[in-house]
Amino acid sequence: MMLRFLRIPAWPLTVTVPLLVAGLMIGVAVVISEIVVSRLIRDQETNLTLLANAYLDGLSAAVLPAVIRGDVWETFDALDRARGQYSGVEARYAIVALPNGTVLAASDPARFPIHSAVPAELHAKSPHDDGLVIDYDARRAWLSRGLRAEGFSVGRILVEIDIASLLHVRSQVVLTLILVNGSLALAFSLIGYFAVKYMLRPFGVLAQYVERVREGRAEPIPERHYKRVPAGFGQLFDRFNAMARAVSERESLASHLAEQEKYAMLGRLASGMAHEVNNPLGGMMNAIDTIQSHGDDPAVLSKSLEFLKRGLAGIRSVVRAALVTYKGGSDTSVLTPTDLDDLPFLVQHETGVRRLRLDWRNRVIEPLPINGPTVRQITLNLLLNACAASPVGGTIEVEASCLNGALRIAVSDHGPGLPDEMAGLLTSNGQMAAPTRDRKGLGLWTTAQLVGRLGGIVAIERPDVGTRVVVTLPLAKEGARHAA
Amino acid sequence: MRTADNKSGAPGVTCLRRSVLAGAAMAATLRMPRAARAADGFSFGLTPLFLDNDIELLSMLKQYLTKQLERPITLVKRRTYHEISAMLLSGQLDAAWICDDPYVQYQDKLALLAVPFYRQKPLYQSYVIVNENSKAQAFDDIRGTVHAFSDPDSTSGYLVTRWMLALRQITPARFFRDSFFTYGHRNVLRAVGADLAQSGSIDGYVWDVMAEREPDLVRKTRIIVKSEWLGFPPIVAPMAIRDAPAVKALAAALLEMPSDPLGRDILQVLALDGFVEGTPDMYQSTMEKWLLVKAQA
Repeated sequence: MMLRFLRIPAWPLTVTVPLLVAGLMIGVAVVISEIVVSRLIRDQETNLTLLANAYLDGLSAAVLPAVIRGDVWETFDALDRARGQYSGVEARYAIVALPNGTVLAASDPARFPIHSAVPAELHAKSPHDDGLVIDYDARRAWLSRGLRAEGFSVGRILVEIDIASLLHVRSQVVLTLILVNGSLALAFSLIGYFAVKYMLRPFGVLAQYVERVREGRAEPIPERHYKRVPAGFGQLFDRFNAMARAVSERESLASHLAEQEKYAMLGRLASGMAHEVNNPLGGMMNAIDTIQSHGDDPAVLSKSLEFLKRGLAGIRSVVRAALVTYKGGSDTSVLTPTDLDDLPFLVQHETGVRRLRLDWRNRVIEPLPINGPTVRQITLNLLLNACAASPVGGTIEVEASCLNGALRIAVSDHGPGLPDEMAGLLTSNGQMAAPTRDRKGLGLWTTAQLVGRLGGIVAIERPDVGTRVVVTLPLAKEGARHAA
Repeated sequence: MRTADNKSGAPGVTCLRRSVLAGAAMAATLRMPRAARAADGFSFGLTPLFLDNDIELLSMLKQYLTKQLERPITLVKRRTYHEISAMLLSGQLDAAWICDDPYVQYQDKLALLAVPFYRQKPLYQSYVIVNENSKAQAFDDIRGTVHAFSDPDSTSGYLVTRWMLALRQITPARFFRDSFFTYGHRNVLRAVGADLAQSGSIDGYVWDVMAEREPDLVRKTRIIVKSEWLGFPPIVAPMAIRDAPAVKALAAALLEMPSDPLGRDILQVLALDGFVEGTPDMYQSTMEKWLLVKAQA
């Protein structure tokens, strides 16, 4: 969960962009600070070396005559007077060592008495040749300068320098850099946050209206949102509005076409029904004629009346199914087993003409909490589509079942198979635009819309022969149904 | 005007003629000093007494003497006592403030003009000092230490200590672990205070004055030996020109210094009460010490 939260693309732009700006600033600040500090360190070392050399030059010139004479006092006097004379070089002590390794004089005689041996530790720290050694951890630097007269070594100056002030300056610079760069990064982040938030406000409006499009309401962005948006977004809003109007018109056209399709289908059904009603009517008229002619014969009368009854029962089934489907029941929140069992009567004409065998398996045995008329419409559409796709004399299989809180309706045919674009219309869950060019697939698109409205899904299975369409529709909660 | 005769309490002294002079200095003494030749200038030599930074003192002294002698004054300062003594004996100086040691060495060639009057005496002492952390309490406790002398021609800064060693029939090289000259009493203080040397020989007058003016420096040292009272380093002129007007004027100017405002300022800087006329017998004790040391050498 945490990792998911940390996925940057999941964050709003108003957060990610300022964060990126802040990150960039911090990165730039770190690089700049690194460069400045590196340069400072280099310059400090260079300056320290120059100062140390100037210090040693002066000290060497001052002590050399005294060192040549072995004059303890004059050497000490020169070292003592040099103390504090060289700004930038804070010598903790200076020693003039003789070639034999003993101290001629030191600025701190109590620590380095005359004629005592120069401590080995100091020898180890000091540069072996003329130069400078810096130990930042110890906050000290050591200088060494050989004293030569007429080509002979007469001694060496060893100096320990306190570089705490140098490091203090460095830490001050680092602190200043951190404060300044940190403040700048924070300031730029805040500016970036508010600037981006202001700039992205139109995107929020746009996203809101795009979402409405996804919900099926293609509405143009009102004029009031055009105010206080950066230049360029007005044009974008115009384009969106043009698109929204186009979508709206397309939806309107699709609805109109669907309505026409519905009426066309209704016409087909009506003619089929008329055919189904008309078929028994001939026999029934014959039965009436038979009754009129041979009504005295009880056996003929009974047989004719039985024939009339069967004919009227068939007509009643067809009429009842049509009434339930196109007039609507009193309770639309429930699907009864009968609601499905009526459907074969509605497609009786289609199956009869093409001599199709309908393998009807309705395993729904009790009322289900789901919109019955919509389910009937979905099933009828799939059934009619299967009838159209099946070859003459083919078999259509319909199976309705309830499992794990969902209604499952599977319709199979032995046709040539549902084309991919048609299958796409069906499985789009109503998200695809309606086919308006040649009306082809309008029934499937309508079915997908209805399935999407009930929150269901459509799956297309392709067995060896034909197509199997499986619709899974979630049932409403019992409480919800009762509340409805 | 005060004289030292009735105040010093110094023993009588027999003037001993000095015949030991360096070749160049000896020859130079034969030359006529400038003060005797012409009245258009006067050179006055000064030994490094106690002040390192005495530019102001030299300025005041030059101004005072120029006014009193009514002629241009050249103040000559050198690093060592010997340089001033040699210049004086060679006729390059008309007068000088020298130490009592060179005075007794060349008493027959130098005329006493005036003696500083310090704390109501024309006398001073020599001190042997040690570093404040030293445990030494007496002179023999500083055996084996590094010792700082002031100047080979200084009574207080060398001769007295050398004399004490002569009484013990031992040389500085054997008594001390090491020794060196600092060519200035203030430098002795610095050397002992910094522990460059663990003991030192110093002018008592300098130590006392420095104790008031630079207590931080003096506090690092401690006196373990004070010598007897000795004749204060005098102002002298070559005997040959002792009666020259300029020389007499110099002596008068020094003796009358307390009566002049500028003179009083100079005395204040020097921490002196004034100058008095001196007599050779004031330096008898110094003479005896020099003779003993010379005999041992």
